[in-house]
Amino acid sequence: MTGRRRVTPHGLAAALRLRETGIVIALAAVCVFFSIRATNFLTLDNWQDIAKEVAIVVAVGVGETMVVLTRNIDLSVGSMVGLTAYLTADTLAQHNGAPLALIALLAVGVGIGLGLVNGLLVAVARIPAIIATLATLAIYRGIAFEVTGGQRIAAFQLPDRFLELAASKPAGLPTLAWIALGVALAGGVALRLAPWGRDLYAIGSNPEAARLAGIPARRRVIAAFVVSGALSGLGGFMWAARFPTVDAVAATDFELAVITAVVIGGVNVFGGSGTVLGAVLGAVLVATIANGFTLLRLSEFWKIFFNGLAIVVAVTIDALVTQRLQEALRRRRAEVLAARHQEAEA
Amino acid sequence: MKGKRLLVLLSLVAIAALAAGLAAGVGSAGESRANPTGKSYKIFFLPKFIGIGVFTENGKGGKEAGKELGDTVVYNGPTEPVGAKQVPFIESAVRQGFDAIVISAPDANAVAPALLRARARGVKVVSYDGDVRPDAREIFVSPPLASDIGAFQVEWLGSQIGYKGEFAILSATPTAANQNTWIKWMKVALKKPKYRNMKLVKIAYGNDKPVDSARETQALLQAYPNLKGIIAPTTVGISAAAQVLSQEGACGKVALTGLGLPNEMRKFVKKGCARKFGLWNERDFGYLAVYVAHHVLDGTITGKIGETFKAGRLGTRQVVNCAGVKPCVVLGKPLVFTPQNIDKFNF
Amino acid sequence: MTSRQLLGRLLGRWETLLLVAIVGVGAWSATLSPFFLHRANLLDLVTPYVFIGLIAFGLAFVVIAGEIDISVVSTLAVSVVSFAQLVQAGVNVWLAALAGLGVATALGLGNGLLVGVLNLPSLAVTLGTLAAYQGLAFVILSGEGVSSFPAGYLRVGGGYIGNELPIPLLVLLGLAVVLGLLLHATRFGRYVFTIGANREAARFSGVPVARVRVTVFCLSGLMAGIAGVFVYVGYFGSARADAGQGQLLDVVTAVVLGGVDIFGGVGSIAGVLLALVLVAELRNGMQLANLPGDLQNIVIGGLLLAAIVSGNLIRAAQAGGLRIPGLGLRRKEVIAADAEAGVPVNPTVETRQGG
Repeated sequence: MTGRRRVTPHGLAAALRLRETGIVIALAAVCVFFSIRATNFLTLDNWQDIAKEVAIVVAVGVGETMVVLTRNIDLSVGSMVGLTAYLTADTLAQHNGAPLALIALLAVGVGIGLGLVNGLLVAVARIPAIIATLATLAIYRGIAFEVTGGQRIAAFQLPDRFLELAASKPAGLPTLAWIALGVALAGGVALRLAPWGRDLYAIGSNPEAARLAGIPARRRVIAAFVVSGALSGLGGFMWAARFPTVDAVAATDFELAVITAVVIGGVNVFGGSGTVLGAVLGAVLVATIANGFTLLRLSEFWKIFFNGLAIVVAVTIDALVTQRLQEALRRRRAEVLAARHQEAEA
Repeated sequence: MKGKRLLVLLSLVAIAALAAGLAAGVGSAGESRANPTGKSYKIFFLPKFIGIGVFTENGKGGKEAGKELGDTVVYNGPTEPVGAKQVPFIESAVRQGFDAIVISAPDANAVAPALLRARARGVKVVSYDGDVRPDAREIFVSPPLASDIGAFQVEWLGSQIGYKGEFAILSATPTAANQNTWIKWMKVALKKPKYRNMKLVKIAYGNDKPVDSARETQALLQAYPNLKGIIAPTTVGISAAAQVLSQEGACGKVALTGLGLPNEMRKFVKKGCARKFGLWNERDFGYLAVYVAHHVLDGTITGKIGETFKAGRLGTRQVVNCAGVKPCVVLGKPLVFTPQNIDKFNF
Repeated sequence: MTSRQLLGRLLGRWETLLLVAIVGVGAWSATLSPFFLHRANLLDLVTPYVFIGLIAFGLAFVVIAGEIDISVVSTLAVSVVSFAQLVQAGVNVWLAALAGLGVATALGLGNGLLVGVLNLPSLAVTLGTLAAYQGLAFVILSGEGVSSFPAGYLRVGGGYIGNELPIPLLVLLGLAVVLGLLLHATRFGRYVFTIGANREAARFSGVPVARVRVTVFCLSGLMAGIAGVFVYVGYFGSARADAGQGQLLDVVTAVVLGGVDIFGGVGSIAGVLLALVLVAELRNGMQLANLPGDLQNIVIGGLLLAAIVSGNLIRAAQAGGLRIPGLGLRRKEVIAADAEAGVPVNPTVETRQGG
């Protein structure tokens, strides 16, 4: 799909800008709806809650986006977050005075190791990503069970300055959200500007062509999985700060939240198209919908239903808007071409 | 290049095989111990799922009882609280010739057919914590009486908010039988004149997941600005709610009570986010369940109300009618945790 | 085709590999536990997973057509609770079952229209309907559910013949045959493969693409309904809104381990069936040996990896003239066959063998 658009760099930029229009409109519609219907939806407090809610999803989602761009998928992120969250909490519980940056690095390091295993399984052992990471989802979770031995780390074992990460709001934005914002910016810039970032798009759009063009596809795919692992490690660190009762089942099913955000954000699961901005917007959209319906004093059960329905509606709005805009773009381009050929036809 | 790839592939296969072998080794390690005084039994201890603190504690208590009684106790189960996933474990216990199954069920009905098949083959079934359909078990081991658990939590909250104001309940899943029973008893208690100024405005469900529980708590704070208190009768829910109250700086403004583990709540108790809540000793709970299973097997317990039996360090216990659930054995009154006594508990 | 070529092709098939694995895991399980080889155990070990298999059959059609349906587990829940409510309202149990299947098919149709007609991405759509249908199930029947159904009805999904042969196993095998024929021996099945392999090409060659895509989603819904209304209710005797929760990964595992290509165009019902048997057998063996549940998951994960890696190895070996030692015997014949077909024989194959 994007392969064609990538032919002209100018068209690419235009299309990327267009790609988010649909989801922004969907998000705007959701916000308008809830600000009319729900009390306290438009308060600062509530948006701080939403920011905190999406922070971990965004941090992990940036890595997932890179993997999905290469026409792969990483289903093991929930297990990696859970495992690193426990290791983070466990280490801090034993070394209360350890510098937090060091602990975060440790979590990221473990994540890199886990991500590297995923990358090798996919790129070297040639196991389809969905199967490889389905397997490591089970294996990493199993390791978490073995490591914890059915025990848990509780908040009282953790130092206050660590728990403060989840409570503090410098400049009005929760610290966790600042971290996520930093990750998203770095990821977005890397994908847009770094040569290897562009390689990911090329690999996802057309693996054969990418190989012929001399892109080291295998190394790039491994790198994408390593980034996903690293950010899952960071996500685990954040998780332990936000939910400081950590046990073997921490972040179970979290991969579903991450993949939902990425997919709703318009990252194509068949690779090659999508942006970090889209994934962030996807995460915000999903969290806003969940938040809004919780604020409406609705029956619990209808809430779950409308929550899902709203996602479907948002996807539909996004798709329709995108289709329209692309059509308009194509028509305009065709008109320009036609005009060049025959000045009479304008 | 190709050779190298092959090498990597082969080593991966080797690792997989090794893991399998390792697993096999772990599995064959059984434990059994002869009891000189009585017959020794094989008891399968099946929690809702393995991997979290409370069930690990139940299992430890169960094994402790097994050791004292000379019984073999195997603790195993699925890794998610799903009734359908318990069924293969029941089938397997029956095939291996276990004498009794001690079970806490997330779905009272889904395990019933399998338990009925087990009972048809002579296996005794004891339910604890999460009861199963009455016809599928011999006896239920209850934590404190459901009516007590319900009434106590209303009182714990009332005493913190001066028996006045709006409050919400943060439950686990809408299908959790014990949660629903406790909530039912809370509503019964609320009819007392003492609580007439307390108003239940919302029952929210956090699905026993920290993320969902935190989101629901945040939403409760936003949607009900006059909220005075939250009752969370689930250890996952109360700990997530405490965390949110502490992060939002709402401790003291919104009171929190419910069922929680002292270790998970210690920090928040000290901060004043939860000044009174309760639970029971989970290790004793598993311990009692295995004692009951043993005495069902040796015939001391036949299910008649009023029968007594010895439950090790818990002393002599009686078979009773737990507010309509019968036959039943009760663990005892709930433990109450406050800032004054919290440091005396370590679980 | 000579019989030797046929043998070579059979050996290379994914289903063959799964069969070998089933035998291997069986041998391992027999050493793990003395109870494994009992006839009653062997007959019964797939029973708790039959409903997963039925969902996986339906999902296989969707995946082969190049799409995905994540919402199947919620579809199962809706069909189960609709059925239960109707039974409680006094409707004849078989009519209620039929209505349950109708509801499930309608939910599949909903997905199908969004994907097949509006051309929305199926993963995004079904992630949404996964939640929406789950909510619907709770709206229809909240709380702890229904468990009183006529015994005669429950036999279909949970009964035994002669106390040993589970009826749901027969249901699974019967539907495997029917769906296998539908997928591999009808024009519709051929369309499904064609669309999965290349949707544009399928359209140009006159395949009614939209209709077929909508139909596979309906089929997927219907199978989730059958799995729910007959087998889940029959075997577990429980109908409540969270039925099927926590089973999604098992369903997907059966499909992908069964050799269905997640990008579409490749797969078979036999493969999915064998994958289901393999996982069930492995779990059964480990449960009989009382392996902790989490270690069981690790081993299943390892099996997934090992299965694909050995598949890759065999394929690589075949491409290079069967280099792996166990199959070395047939090497000459295959090379001869290749030579016959005009494929140049690579002399370096000889020197690489065993190294």
